[in-house]
Amino acid sequence: MKKLIAAAALLGAAMALTATAHADAPYYAIIAKGFDHQFWQAVKKGAEDQAKADGVTITFEGPKTEAEIDKQIDILNADFAKKPVGLGFAALDTKAETKALQQYADAKIPIVAFDSGVANDLPVTTCTTDNVAAAAEAAKQLAKAIGDEGEVADEIHDQTSATGLGRRKGFEEEIAKHPKIKLVDTKFANADAKAADDIKAILTAHPNLKGIFASNEGAANGLAIAKKETGSKVIGIGFDSGKKQKDAIMSGLLAGSITQNPVGIGQCAVSSLTKALKGEKLEKVIDTGFYYYTKDNMSDPKIAAVLYD
Amino acid sequence: MSSSEKSHGAQSVSGPKLIELRDIEKRFPGVHALRGVNFDLRAGEVHALMGENGAGKSTLMKILTGVYQPDSGEIIVGGKTVTMPNPRAGQDLGISIIHQELYLMNHLTAAQNIFIGREPRKGLGIFVDNQKLNANAAAIFKRMKIDISPEIEVGGLTVALQQLVEIAKALSFNSKVLIMDEPTSALNETEVAHLFAIIKDLKANGVGIVYITHKMDEVKQIADRITVMRDGQYIDTLPQEDTPISKIISLMVGRELAHASRAEGKVGHEQVLKVSGLNAGKMVKDVSFTLKKGEILGFAGLMGAGRTEVARAIFGADKVQSGEIEIHGKKVKVKSPADAVKQGLAYLSEDRKRFGVVTGLSVRDNVTLPSWSRFTTAGFLMKDREMNKTAAEYVEKLKVKTPSVSQIVRLLSGGNQQKVVISKWLLRDCDVLFFDEPTRGIDVGAKAEIYKLLQSLAEQGKAIVVISSELEEVLRLSHRIIVMCEGRITGELDGKTATQESIMHLATQRQSKAA
Amino acid sequence: MNTTTVSQTDFAKSGMFTVATLQKAVAFAVLLLLVVFFSLMSPVFLSWSNAINIMTATSVNAVLGIACTLVIISAGIDLSVGTLMTFCSIIAGVLSINLGLPLWIGIPGALLSGAAVGACSGAIIAYLKIPPFIVTLGFMRALYGLNIVVTSAKPIYFDDQPKYSLISPDSSISALIPGLGIPNAVFVMVLLAIVAAIVLNRTILGRFIYALGSNEEAVRLSGVNVNIWKVGIYALSGMICGIAGLLLSSRLGSAQPAIGMGYELDAIAATVIGGTSLAGGRGTILGTIIGAFIISILSNGLTVLSVADEWKYVATGFILVTAVYVDMRLKYRG
Repeated sequence: MKKLIAAAALLGAAMALTATAHADAPYYAIIAKGFDHQFWQAVKKGAEDQAKADGVTITFEGPKTEAEIDKQIDILNADFAKKPVGLGFAALDTKAETKALQQYADAKIPIVAFDSGVANDLPVTTCTTDNVAAAAEAAKQLAKAIGDEGEVADEIHDQTSATGLGRRKGFEEEIAKHPKIKLVDTKFANADAKAADDIKAILTAHPNLKGIFASNEGAANGLAIAKKETGSKVIGIGFDSGKKQKDAIMSGLLAGSITQNPVGIGQCAVSSLTKALKGEKLEKVIDTGFYYYTKDNMSDPKIAAVLYD
Repeated sequence: MSSSEKSHGAQSVSGPKLIELRDIEKRFPGVHALRGVNFDLRAGEVHALMGENGAGKSTLMKILTGVYQPDSGEIIVGGKTVTMPNPRAGQDLGISIIHQELYLMNHLTAAQNIFIGREPRKGLGIFVDNQKLNANAAAIFKRMKIDISPEIEVGGLTVALQQLVEIAKALSFNSKVLIMDEPTSALNETEVAHLFAIIKDLKANGVGIVYITHKMDEVKQIADRITVMRDGQYIDTLPQEDTPISKIISLMVGRELAHASRAEGKVGHEQVLKVSGLNAGKMVKDVSFTLKKGEILGFAGLMGAGRTEVARAIFGADKVQSGEIEIHGKKVKVKSPADAVKQGLAYLSEDRKRFGVVTGLSVRDNVTLPSWSRFTTAGFLMKDREMNKTAAEYVEKLKVKTPSVSQIVRLLSGGNQQKVVISKWLLRDCDVLFFDEPTRGIDVGAKAEIYKLLQSLAEQGKAIVVISSELEEVLRLSHRIIVMCEGRITGELDGKTATQESIMHLATQRQSKAA
Repeated sequence: MNTTTVSQTDFAKSGMFTVATLQKAVAFAVLLLLVVFFSLMSPVFLSWSNAINIMTATSVNAVLGIACTLVIISAGIDLSVGTLMTFCSIIAGVLSINLGLPLWIGIPGALLSGAAVGACSGAIIAYLKIPPFIVTLGFMRALYGLNIVVTSAKPIYFDDQPKYSLISPDSSISALIPGLGIPNAVFVMVLLAIVAAIVLNRTILGRFIYALGSNEEAVRLSGVNVNIWKVGIYALSGMICGIAGLLLSSRLGSAQPAIGMGYELDAIAATVIGGTSLAGGRGTILGTIIGAFIISILSNGLTVLSVADEWKYVATGFILVTAVYVDMRLKYRG
């Protein structure tokens, strides 16, 4: 029993050391969607850089995976107890978390939504990529690459989230504008290996498939693995970045990808909070932008700055 | 005590018959459990049902409560012949049983336990009406003149109070017949007195009570009539007042059987095992004895006397509080069965299926189990062929009836399973063998074979302890007999001169609990 | 006497194996049925390249299934196989990338770390007598956290060890038989299945796995040091998780810290569908492999048929419950 207590104490001490100490500087709570993907590490970096510039302290937290809405609510509630002066929040669900958010609004703590918005007026602004427009761009690029005709499919990272819905909508609506292109299959997977197995099955079912759109980092990595393992010549376009995806573009497994501006999203979240606290007026939505990148423009400093490993 | 014997005597026997069992027969595969048993219970009487372990008391009570159905015979309740296809039917006829082990839900309250499944409802029958529930329970407690809060969790009550909750539950069914199976086994003197007071009250209210016990003093205190059973047979029903204890015992054990096959063979002089001052758990109190080479030492006693616990403690299966064990004159520490086996000790459990054999494995694997490490190449590959050969040797030597050594042990008969267990210890070179109920669940023919096997093992110089609830078995096998009661050794008898009566006297010699 | 000439066939005839064999037959029938069904429904399903797809998709789950099978036959359970798999792949990354050690240290190091973690959970289960469900549930979560901590939530890429990324997806057999194209991961799975079957049926550890699962108390009372064997069982299971970790991370070219949770349920599903009894004492490796194939064929087949994803889960759930029902029916009959 004594040993157990000692071990618990040690563990407690280790946790205390890693916890961020926020003494006098204003404290913002930043709550992301998860740590599944490198995307969030880039958002975190942007947020931390901006925090340094604004002279504030932040905590950057999130649930384990992007499915754990309940865990995210727990974090929202826990952070409220830490009395932040501002909240940056990437909602996993557009409605489910309204109640937890309301307490911040009631306490006059400004809320900035980032990455995806919420279905209420609580946030002062939303720093986000226009997912529909970004995915439509992917569809345009894919159409161009396959000569504007033939079969295509999409591998979407999530069936229910705003980004998943938005990217699917953007891609499929744009494809519908091309009469000679036919969308033959839509699958959902968020992890590399599972997406790869999915795509291999799609390739089997549709031997004449010309192109595939993969809607996030995991799906795109899976697409690259599937192409490598099957030797398929299908043209792939991904979304987001990450080392594997960048490698795949360099080696030609993927024709190109859409990148958001994750660093910019992180910066926007923190700087918008600072502005809101100063009483500045903000737009309802701040588009943080997106780019289509291929191996030709990856080293372009403007692009390179928003790509992450 | 002697004054209370007189206080409620045979006068109440004249009440109307609540139940009557006539010529009840019941067979199980290989066992004729009940043969022509008669029994009746009158309103307002306590009828003691007595007999040795295995006499058929529990089977009879299971028939009376609808758990078993008789093969033939009549059950008459309230003057009408009835059938009880299930326990629920027994309950509906007003027959309740209080088991030796209580069946209560520890985390529920007393009231919830009493009315489980029959809770008063409210609000369209969706909600339990707790107020009414507790009031109903309180009313029963009041009738019993006991002070238990209906809202208390029964897990926190003493065993005595839990038993009262069980009785209250029985009364809540308006039971006219109450069967109590060894109700005082976990109670102290005051609690027993309290229970008896309640029994007296129940009698006065016309409830009939079947009282199963081994304890003579209790019978003398509260019973009106006594029925004795032996080997599934009805022996006699007698008024308690006119029957001395010695008469009851002799009826229970029957006439002395011919001792043609009493223990023979020379016991060696070499002391193999010496146990002194052993204390373990609640059931082993200051136990000391010795065991010699070539000797069969019988351990007799009633169920719950602590004999199994002694064996398990010596074998390292249960924790020991104090005591010393010497093997071949050397003091040893036995902390686990693994230690015990290293010292040459073996324990053959009464519950073979749970503790003896691994039923899912083959005869071969079971015989070789304690010696598996001997049958490996390079320390990990099993030499199955060699194991087959060795197992086959033992199968032949002990005459195990099995189609092959690959037969799964589950499919063998009880006697053959026992031989498999014996084989495994012989193969492991164990020379001190504890046999706990060696013939339980084994049919009569195979019993003789097991006896012969044990005797020949002793002649070969093994030291053997036989724990048995069958007096005949103990007398037949043992050179020496140790009798236990309530965790203590109450006496030691010579196997040649011991009788069933002398054993029973020692086995019922309780220490006064007030002391 | 016929008892002295017992052969392996007698062994297979004996009761315990009859039930297992029967259920394996049921599982195999389901597998065949699925193959026939999908072949009829889709002309492209029954092709060599799709067969390779299915085998590849099966390999990691089957390997984890083997780990689970050993533990479950011994009447235990291991919920930590998924995150332990990830932990091992991270150890491989730390050793061979972060520390720059050669692969012949990195790979055994990963396997040994799997065995060590398995031994730890085994020791806690055996000596502290905490139920395996609780202990491995704890390990599942703790390892997830450790995986994130060790990597700072960043994947470890095996670019500096290009050979590593070839281990799993490369097809060494194609050098001998060109065009066969079966990736190494599949061979590792098959090889491991054979070794595990030998361990189960031919070694003392395997014998104890069945014995403990059948009646632990009887084994203890036979004078066996049960605890040591339990530690051994979980250590072996942990090492097999390490193999799964190598296969997955090699395929992905990276050790991904956030994955792993959820894999244990797929592995347990494969084990149970394959006829291993959650009550212990019964089960086979072949059954588990069949179970893993049923899951991935279902997934692949429904994808090929362009059936919506959600139905995939409905179908596996249905098969899982059916399998357990069959298991119970056979048990009460046998």
